[in-house]
Amino acid sequence: MPGSTDVGGRASGAHLVRKKRLFFPFFLPAVTLYVVFLVVPTLATVALGFTSWAGAGDTPEFTGFANYVELLSSDAFRYSFLNTLLYIVAGGVGTFLLAFLFTMVLRDMRGGKLIRAILFFPNIVAPVALGMFFSIVLIYRPNRQGLANHLLESVGLDAVKFLQAENVTWVVTGCLIWASSGFYITILMAAVDRIPPYLYEDADIAGATPWQKFRHVTLPLTWDVIGVAGVLWTIGAVKIFELVFVLAGPGTYSPPIRAWTLGVYVFDRSFGTQGTPEYGMACAAAVVMILLVSVLVVLLRRLMRRDTIQF
Amino acid sequence: MRSTRCAALALAVTSALGLAACGSGKGDGGGEAALALPGVAEYLAAPCPEVGTKPATDKEFTYWSMWTADEPQGKVLAKAIKCFTEKTGVKVDVQWLGRKLLTQNVAPALNTDTVPDLFDQDISQVKAAVVAPGGTQPVEDVLDYKIGEGDKRVRDVIAPSSYDIPQNKGADGKIFEIPYELLGNAWWYNKDLIKDLQPPRTMDDLFALFDKAKADGMAAVSQDGDINFYNAYFFTQLAARYVGAGGLEKAAQDKTGQAWKADPGPLKAAELVERLAKGGYFIDGWDAAKFPQIQQRWADGDAAFLFVGSWGPSETREYLSKQGGTKGVAYGSFQFPQPEGATHRVVEQLPIGFAVTAKAKHPEAAKAFIAYMLNKDILSGIPAVADNLTPRADLAVPDSLKDVKAALESDAEHAIFMDGLDALAAGKWVDNVFYPLNNDLLKGKITAGQFIDGLAAKQAEFWKTTA
Repeated sequence: MPGSTDVGGRASGAHLVRKKRLFFPFFLPAVTLYVVFLVVPTLATVALGFTSWAGAGDTPEFTGFANYVELLSSDAFRYSFLNTLLYIVAGGVGTFLLAFLFTMVLRDMRGGKLIRAILFFPNIVAPVALGMFFSIVLIYRPNRQGLANHLLESVGLDAVKFLQAENVTWVVTGCLIWASSGFYITILMAAVDRIPPYLYEDADIAGATPWQKFRHVTLPLTWDVIGVAGVLWTIGAVKIFELVFVLAGPGTYSPPIRAWTLGVYVFDRSFGTQGTPEYGMACAAAVVMILLVSVLVVLLRRLMRRDTIQF
Repeated sequence: MRSTRCAALALAVTSALGLAACGSGKGDGGGEAALALPGVAEYLAAPCPEVGTKPATDKEFTYWSMWTADEPQGKVLAKAIKCFTEKTGVKVDVQWLGRKLLTQNVAPALNTDTVPDLFDQDISQVKAAVVAPGGTQPVEDVLDYKIGEGDKRVRDVIAPSSYDIPQNKGADGKIFEIPYELLGNAWWYNKDLIKDLQPPRTMDDLFALFDKAKADGMAAVSQDGDINFYNAYFFTQLAARYVGAGGLEKAAQDKTGQAWKADPGPLKAAELVERLAKGGYFIDGWDAAKFPQIQQRWADGDAAFLFVGSWGPSETREYLSKQGGTKGVAYGSFQFPQPEGATHRVVEQLPIGFAVTAKAKHPEAAKAFIAYMLNKDILSGIPAVADNLTPRADLAVPDSLKDVKAALESDAEHAIFMDGLDALAAGKWVDNVFYPLNNDLLKGKITAGQFIDGLAAKQAEFWKTTA
């Protein structure tokens, strides 16, 4: 039909115009909310990190890098930083090892879906409640032990002082792995489910062991998902707070500084002080958290960079 | 931080009250009901006393409370408010905010004009969080307000040692709080388990008591080792007797840290703590538990002695009543004996009171209410309902608190808990310098000498970078 392309052209042009008209109504609310509730507070945090501010009728006073100098020389901050790194690395390694182990066995296990659901349960419980739960399970009390020590003693082993200051960081790491692996198993298993079954059938015919199947089929084909999960873990682990606060201390006051994380540090300087809050110090520590997570995520992305395998 | 203790304590009493109906057996040695306090219902039902000082113009005021409405102190204050409104027609807008109100509510509100007229907390915290940024006004005039008992004024009924102290004075040298509750601390024991105990006169006497308890097959001392400041009491109690009230705070502020070594007192005190730590007196597991598990083991009779504040009886009473038993502890207590060579008689206290904000719109009504709170028919609820002490010497207190009351009313030097060390540099000094070393000392990991050397070194390092 003569002129039909012309009409079509006009139509698509009109469509484009309409699309353009709709761009800002869709774009602006989201960006406004994002700017108001994320970008501005982040910038304010960075700015306040260079001030001394009690937030009690005073105005922030510019102090330059004084907060950062104090952070670097503070034992509390040093412990917080190192413990946070430990939780990210040791907790991450443990969580992902456990998650990989489950992806190896869950795929062809009967009732795998049910087990996946059960493994996810710790994630729907508030970390504070988990901390309280573990502090009861791990009680050391001769003659009336908590569940963990009761089990140890019933098989003839000595009870362990799990909550002693010297042990508590490792205990928290263990609890963390227990609590978070279900989440990463769920993510990784979703990726595993995408892998065409015939690849595994091929591997079976070739007589591959579960480890070989994992190494040569599962791992390469879920690599991108593992990368994303690693980033999620890092972001989550930098913020670790509740479990440490509840398990390493009495729960009502900050624990001893040897157990602190960056999250505990920020909280303590904002709300745990004996006097007015030190928002400047808290903001400086929060900036360190942002930097730490940025550096780690960039490193992780570099490390995980591979060509995507199409399948 | 100690406010939360009061919370626990207050909750303790609440539940004790709830269970009182089920079983309130008498303790064998104490003379008071073992698991509940008598006289709670009578107090709450009693008629309102007259108001001594009525506000001339104010018809309302706002009060932000450190208590919650359902805990015993909350109930006592609710009654005071109800009576005050009934007698004066002044409407009280009260918000029950709980212990964190200073950092979470009052301090942020100072940025605005919407401040409460009246609020309360212990003097250490109020001074550090609200007085320091200039958020309060002096309440010296309240001392001359009549309290509704004839011509009696506030200053006639409350002990000067509870308010006329440097820790209760702002930069202008004027007091900023009128206290209505006093915390003290003591060594607690169960009179049913340890019969005919004579309060120790020397530290050797004290250690002899511990040794005897061990010989009798009990642990000597219960100690909730996960609370840093509970662990600190041993050193601060003893050291304060060498250096006097205010002496520890002064030493801690020394920029070189050498003050800890210049005076031999702190080392002697630390040596006594080392003896306590290395003598195997603490109950097995004290450093691997969660508060309040270890003090509960004391209540169960696993250990002979417990050093905590005057909230000890109510907290352990709550625990025992929840266990479903009918028999409580026959509470006995004594103070630390004077260590050899120590020249200062010191008693530790912590007053909790009312303060009025600088921007208050109705200060007159708020101040009149403070005076009314100190009327004996109102204030008697603090011992009778909340199981706590007050700055008034003439109010009856539960038997368990009589010894602590006597200590607080003695002519000894009055120091604030831990000599106020925990409020130094907004708590950073204790967190970074003192608590780690003190915990190691109490666990027997370091010697007294290493403790003092460590304090001096860490403190010098600390003040170099901390404003």
